[in-house]
Amino acid sequence: MISRRDFLKLSTLVVTSAALSSCAPVYRRLAGDLPAVPWTPLDAHDFLALNRLTFGPRVEERARFSEISLQAYIEEQLAFDSINDFDCELQLQPFKSLGKDANELEGISNGLFEDYDRETIPDELRQATLVRQIYSKRQLYELMVEFWSDHFNIFIEKGNCFYLKTVDDREVIRKHALASFRDLVWASAHSPAMMIYLDNQANEKSAPNENYARELMELHTLGVDGGYTQQDVMELARCLTGWNVKEHFWLGDFVFKEDLHDTGTKDVLGLTIENSGIKEAEQVIEMLVTHPNTARFIATKLTRRFIADDPPQVIVEKAAQTFLQTNGDIKSVLRVILLDGLALAQPKYKRPANFVTSALRMTNTETDGAGIQDYLLRMGQTYFGWPTPDGYPDRGEPWQNNLMPRWQFVFELIRNEIKGTKNNLNSLLDVSSTDSLQDDVDSLTSLLLGAPLERLTRDKLIDSVLSAGASPEETLQIAAAGILASPAFQWR
Amino acid sequence: MLTTLPKPTTYQVALPSWMPRLAFAPHNTSPRGDTLIVVFLRGAADILNMVVPHGEDAYYQLRPSLGIPRPDDSSEKKEERAIDLDGFFGFHPSMHALLDAWQSEQLAIIHACGAPDESRSHFKAMELMERGVDDERGPASGWIGRHLATLNTGNSSPLRAVGMGTRPQRSLSGTVPVSALRSIADFHLGGDPRALQQMRLALNTVYENDVLGQDTLSIMDTLETLDPLTYTAARNAKYPDSEFGLALKQTAMLIKAEVGLEVSAIDVGGWDTHFAQGSVTGLMPNLMKDLAEGLAAFHADMQDHMNQLTTVTMSEFGRRASENGSLGTDHGHGSMMMVLGGNVDGGKVHGEWPGLEEGQIMGPGDLAVTTDYRDVLSEVLVKRLNNPATNEVFPDYQAKMPNVIV
Repeated sequence: MISRRDFLKLSTLVVTSAALSSCAPVYRRLAGDLPAVPWTPLDAHDFLALNRLTFGPRVEERARFSEISLQAYIEEQLAFDSINDFDCELQLQPFKSLGKDANELEGISNGLFEDYDRETIPDELRQATLVRQIYSKRQLYELMVEFWSDHFNIFIEKGNCFYLKTVDDREVIRKHALASFRDLVWASAHSPAMMIYLDNQANEKSAPNENYARELMELHTLGVDGGYTQQDVMELARCLTGWNVKEHFWLGDFVFKEDLHDTGTKDVLGLTIENSGIKEAEQVIEMLVTHPNTARFIATKLTRRFIADDPPQVIVEKAAQTFLQTNGDIKSVLRVILLDGLALAQPKYKRPANFVTSALRMTNTETDGAGIQDYLLRMGQTYFGWPTPDGYPDRGEPWQNNLMPRWQFVFELIRNEIKGTKNNLNSLLDVSSTDSLQDDVDSLTSLLLGAPLERLTRDKLIDSVLSAGASPEETLQIAAAGILASPAFQWR
Repeated sequence: MLTTLPKPTTYQVALPSWMPRLAFAPHNTSPRGDTLIVVFLRGAADILNMVVPHGEDAYYQLRPSLGIPRPDDSSEKKEERAIDLDGFFGFHPSMHALLDAWQSEQLAIIHACGAPDESRSHFKAMELMERGVDDERGPASGWIGRHLATLNTGNSSPLRAVGMGTRPQRSLSGTVPVSALRSIADFHLGGDPRALQQMRLALNTVYENDVLGQDTLSIMDTLETLDPLTYTAARNAKYPDSEFGLALKQTAMLIKAEVGLEVSAIDVGGWDTHFAQGSVTGLMPNLMKDLAEGLAAFHADMQDHMNQLTTVTMSEFGRRASENGSLGTDHGHGSMMMVLGGNVDGGKVHGEWPGLEEGQIMGPGDLAVTTDYRDVLSEVLVKRLNNPATNEVFPDYQAKMPNVIV
């Protein structure tokens, strides 16, 4: 149902976008969303918790969190279906490829007499991903989409993944992100993008290819020490022979090619599998998704993502138990990790995408998602750009020591030099403006870091920028860039 | 609108107390040795097609389509045959650029070399190899990181160790700060000079007590004077126009600029050739060509520095001895290392060759490992990098010197 308020917004937006050129992305947010009060102060723990539950808390999310408290906030976010996300959907209007099936996407990119256009569809998916992380009110759901996109990593530049990933993103990751793990693995195993990324379309009776079979156990379910052997990998690969992708008519859809299938008896993880075509690997998948080692592996990874790089074992155990008891109900597992685990949360180093989204959201920045992508590349984390199937590293160590592109980004963000992106720091600051530069910087720091800077550092920051001839307004601007660039803002 | 914020009771310091601090107390003090360049071929390079055992019949039986013809196979064009090195092994024709280094005895090959890990998992094998450990229980830091931490060379340069690429390699991680460098030219803040000056001062303040930040600021200053686009290599050396070529060129520039570079880590990706890898031409031959031409250019450009340089190449494991049905190769075991430098016992294929016959291959049909990669690296550490602490760099491992260094 569209409320009257939504309807008014929609009509305003249509007028606005008609005034822009037709291909110009819609990125202007409508006025009236900012509360006329400054941001709600949060204690250090709440600030950390809210940073874990969002891609960087917006002012209105701080207010909501304070209003209803942690537990209710988590429940509200878990029930993502009930959150009206109309604003975000409007922002996604320009990305026409998101809802199309493989055959249509192939048609769009097929230049007939020219080469394939391998840019447009991946660009739209990358922009849409950023836009969703920035604008969606279903923040926890989007965090899970990010998590599973890493877990079932697909490198968008490999072969036809450049258009098939759009289908995988919609039909595998987003469809099941907060639902059943079994359905998620099932969908991923039948996903043409995954078949191509891990070479299963080349896995035939006469020439087995182990790539997908191995990663299905090593990275998607059991984990590397999950108790399978090289022999199990080879046998599962035999089960998966014939799992393939259509090349004509409904091209790009999944197909089981009977003639490529190895009809012999197989033995996977001690289970004898008689000749039964596509059912063989499906039988193994059913076994893998309920395996205790899978429960442990997924619980560990989720706890690492949401709680700490070195996940507290007590939370992992409890989450793994919940996984087994609920047959891999992702919401139930996540609820345990958040409710019990957030109290034990340790600071995590922000990966580039999270650094960027937190800077954009916390400064109430509008973006069409396009101009930001090059910064992500320089920081080392483009969306769907990790070549190997293990997904972008979650732990902090690999990401540290690459400060320069982060500094470049915040400097250009604050000065509004990024195309299609406009920060509204001024309007935020207007709300809380005082006569004192010191108070303004304190206020800014509590917005971005959760608490004001140490007095000495704050005064030194202000004095050093003033000494370079900056006006008070410029000083506040550069101070904002300095705070976003600072060590503390690199952690969440 | 004027609002008064509640007065805070806690303050956020620019450098939170939980951030990792440096604990850096090396027990060996010694002048720095060679600059070490570590080239990692990511994805498990098919080394049997790089340094071809053309004297081995089994090789041709296992690889009817992918095998590289013998140097004396007159039924094939000369440029499509292996280039003989010692009567038994030969270079893939795409590796011919390395012949100069081979003939000048500055390039050594250690065949059937690798790690004990048999997981055949890229990620596990790479992780263990970069950490320099047998299994998960070892230290989480990298072997180069521990080398840097155990040897005080009196070198405090922020460019002491550099990972070429967007993030530092796992092998570099440890208590000594290292830098990631995609391009020298990228390494500056751009924009209005006045705002830039203000930003620079703000960064100085917020990173006042942060070593990594201070390093980054000084790297910024150092690199402002270097530009890879206008760099002229010695001896007309031509680096390939590739990421690898650029990484090597920038390594050469940093060495010549004498900014304190001790280690440069370079990745070359794309070696996971399960599908249509190509025999004489194609996907993998192109990778080999890039690798060989890059190393050859570096060898020529850096001739005057060769006595203070050691370059090693490595890969997480080798590939199955037999080709698969997709004209590619699946994950195998034994690999190969190359060592390039002025003090290398070069022009030789080192190591014991285990053979490819039935009974000689191991597991699902893979080349065995007869030299542990840590033996080669330990010898480089001791003889070229002045670091005797091999027991700390490779804990619980007793290295045997393979005599690859003169």
